[in-house]
Amino acid sequence: MNGYTGRILFVNLSDNSVRILPTEKYIEQFVGGRGIAVKLLYELTPKNVDPLSPENALIFMTGPLTGTIVPSSGRIDVVSKSPQTNLLGGSNAGGFFGPELKYAGYDGIVVTGRASSTVCIDIYNDSIEIKSAENLSGKGVFDTVKALRKKDEDTQVACIGPAGERLVNLSGIAFSMRNYAARCGFGAVMGSKNLKAIAVRGTRGLDVAVPDQLKQVADEMRERIKATPSYKEFPEWYHKLFRVLEADAKTFFGNYDDALWDGRFEAYENAEKFVKGAELKLQSCFGCPLRCWAYISVRNVGKASVVACQGTLTSIVNFAKIKDFNKVWEAYILCQDMGLDISGTSATIAFAMDLYSKGILSKNQVNNLELTFGDGNAFVSLVKKIAGKEGIGGLLAEGVKKASEKLGEAAKKLAVYAKGGQELWLMEIRPFKGVALSCAVTDSGSHNRATYGLCEFYYRSMKTQAETVARNIVGTEEAAQPTKYEYKPKLVAAYEDIHILADSLGVCSIPFMPVGLELWAKAYTASTGRETLPKTLMTAAERIRTLERLFNIREGLTRRDDTIAERMFNEPLKEGPWKGEALDKIMFEKMIDEYYSLRGWDSDGKPKPETLKRLGLESICA
Amino acid sequence: MDLGAKYAYLLEDEDVRPWCMNKIIVVNYDKCTGCKTCEAVCSLVHEGRINPSESRINVVKYEDTGINIPVFCQKCGDPACVAVCPMDAIIVDDYLGTYIDYSRCIGCKMCILACPIGGVSLHPANKKIIMCDMCKGDPQCVKSCPEQALEYVDVGKLSVKKRREGLEKLAKFLEMAKI
Repeated sequence: MNGYTGRILFVNLSDNSVRILPTEKYIEQFVGGRGIAVKLLYELTPKNVDPLSPENALIFMTGPLTGTIVPSSGRIDVVSKSPQTNLLGGSNAGGFFGPELKYAGYDGIVVTGRASSTVCIDIYNDSIEIKSAENLSGKGVFDTVKALRKKDEDTQVACIGPAGERLVNLSGIAFSMRNYAARCGFGAVMGSKNLKAIAVRGTRGLDVAVPDQLKQVADEMRERIKATPSYKEFPEWYHKLFRVLEADAKTFFGNYDDALWDGRFEAYENAEKFVKGAELKLQSCFGCPLRCWAYISVRNVGKASVVACQGTLTSIVNFAKIKDFNKVWEAYILCQDMGLDISGTSATIAFAMDLYSKGILSKNQVNNLELTFGDGNAFVSLVKKIAGKEGIGGLLAEGVKKASEKLGEAAKKLAVYAKGGQELWLMEIRPFKGVALSCAVTDSGSHNRATYGLCEFYYRSMKTQAETVARNIVGTEEAAQPTKYEYKPKLVAAYEDIHILADSLGVCSIPFMPVGLELWAKAYTASTGRETLPKTLMTAAERIRTLERLFNIREGLTRRDDTIAERMFNEPLKEGPWKGEALDKIMFEKMIDEYYSLRGWDSDGKPKPETLKRLGLESICA
Repeated sequence: MDLGAKYAYLLEDEDVRPWCMNKIIVVNYDKCTGCKTCEAVCSLVHEGRINPSESRINVVKYEDTGINIPVFCQKCGDPACVAVCPMDAIIVDDYLGTYIDYSRCIGCKMCILACPIGGVSLHPANKKIIMCDMCKGDPQCVKSCPEQALEYVDVGKLSVKKRREGLEKLAKFLEMAKI
């Protein structure tokens, strides 16, 4: 088979059974990656499945372009029912695991069941072993990866840290030393299966349909990516990111109540000084020209990789208002090693700090920690407690929404989260109506999976580009203005489809748009030998989007769940460039109406029969 | 396939000969981001499929320190592989450097054992010995490298300054690796 390996590996840890089933029947409708993974989850899990039960399926799926020479093709999509939101969960990771899995001969791995003791799945081409991993239990991510690489340094590892083993909702899955499928609590799903790690090494390789054509398309794509203005900026992103967020007026500090923290410039300067004084080694994921991450090494402080992402280092600084960057770095490495989602963990700690400052959490309740904003030591202690579910960490490990429900009304009023209860990715959303809409309607409860890079993001710093993109998609430049409600549903739907395609083809969403759908379709044809048009791919994206919705409807989702924390409506911003901005309930509901109708769903968010028919999904709802 | 026959035209064609003469692929270690595009392209060009294990160039990654070093046949002046080959199957050519004459190769793997840098490898499927052939003087890995970490340069133009720069950088990385 070309482009695909044609085989999906099914592992049931309850009875140690291993099966290999063909990918073929899912390809035409669901493309690959995220699309096939969602379809498999729908098929394999019973209604109202408990996310942490053996019946839940944890699905790792690559796309037809993963591991080819197409730029940025190192992605793997992870899908399962999320313990954090009790809805469909999804998270996507880069690195080298996806390509290695394909070279071993598998398009994806589906894990079900529960092992009786800690195990790891060891894959070397056709050899699949379920081995005891008792010796790795309790070990951090870095040690686990190193241990599994002893035999062969080129082995790629997907593993969880201690947080995942203890079923912390804020835990993710680590791919080798730095890439994470961090969101939606998948570390806990993997932990609930007693699966510590999957190690993959593949030497079988991948056939492609038309090698010459694929190479030509890949060269053209690489040139296009390198011609974008932001390409040159990536190597400086690490210290620039704080200023970029500031320039786009996306920043907030603390628990969403401080837009103009007076310590912020000092914090930025400390970060810049730290990064500039460090040894920096730029890195890329498989086949990617972007080099958007780096290894940083600082004498006496430590070394690790850092990614130019607002959900990581920036999250710790902004949420917890920590000026001492050495402490930020310590917390950052600790979160990675424990296998925690840094975005969610930082948001939860900021929430706890806010509750403590307002007296809702007493000193006794927080195990005598001095939980004040800016205290790096308190942050580090809390990370440890969350990872180990010790003391107050047990409550906070549930995430903001569930913790707030246990703490009562006063805490609930201060909680901020997206649909289903997942913490937001770091950015103020009240002025950004498109992002807010996306947080509410997206079925994974994670707007960076749905609409990362929405043109609202960079409206203030790169107005012309934002307006051009908006005009191309919606037909008017006004759509790029963050505070406008009009046109946002169309914009969000278009971005969602683009993201779904990137995640399903197995490529990164960052260069997806600059390269253009035309070339991705060409690459798909050259790689798989299946003729396709951009239009066909867009219909597939719509189909996948609707299937995600059908899954959540099956799990009991209604229109009432398509919302975000009340606070974003009730509490206008008190200061800063967006002073006075809050979400307007009526306008917000209007956006949702329009979004549903664009998707061909009824006013309750249920796909209409004709939509299901058009997308070939009737049989699923029968 | 007999590479000698495949490249016979290079020895005859006066226009092509000077172009690939005395040129080597040079690695700028500090620029390599470890993306493995070179591996994918190499296997695609030589094998018509994608498989880093079938590639003539391999990026060795030290993930603790972020150091990535592409390794491939260096076209040695006095090649160890040639010295140990019991079948005289490795030809030394003025223009292409070393290449394998598959009509003689018996796959004994002595060359793999002898090569001090791991520049020779074994094809995982057909068990043939594989080594860089510089794509007939137009190395595709060099063309596809997004960071220009690989360069195809004339040996004579590698100035003393360039060597010194290289050594200084190398010293810096070795220092970094010790932290």
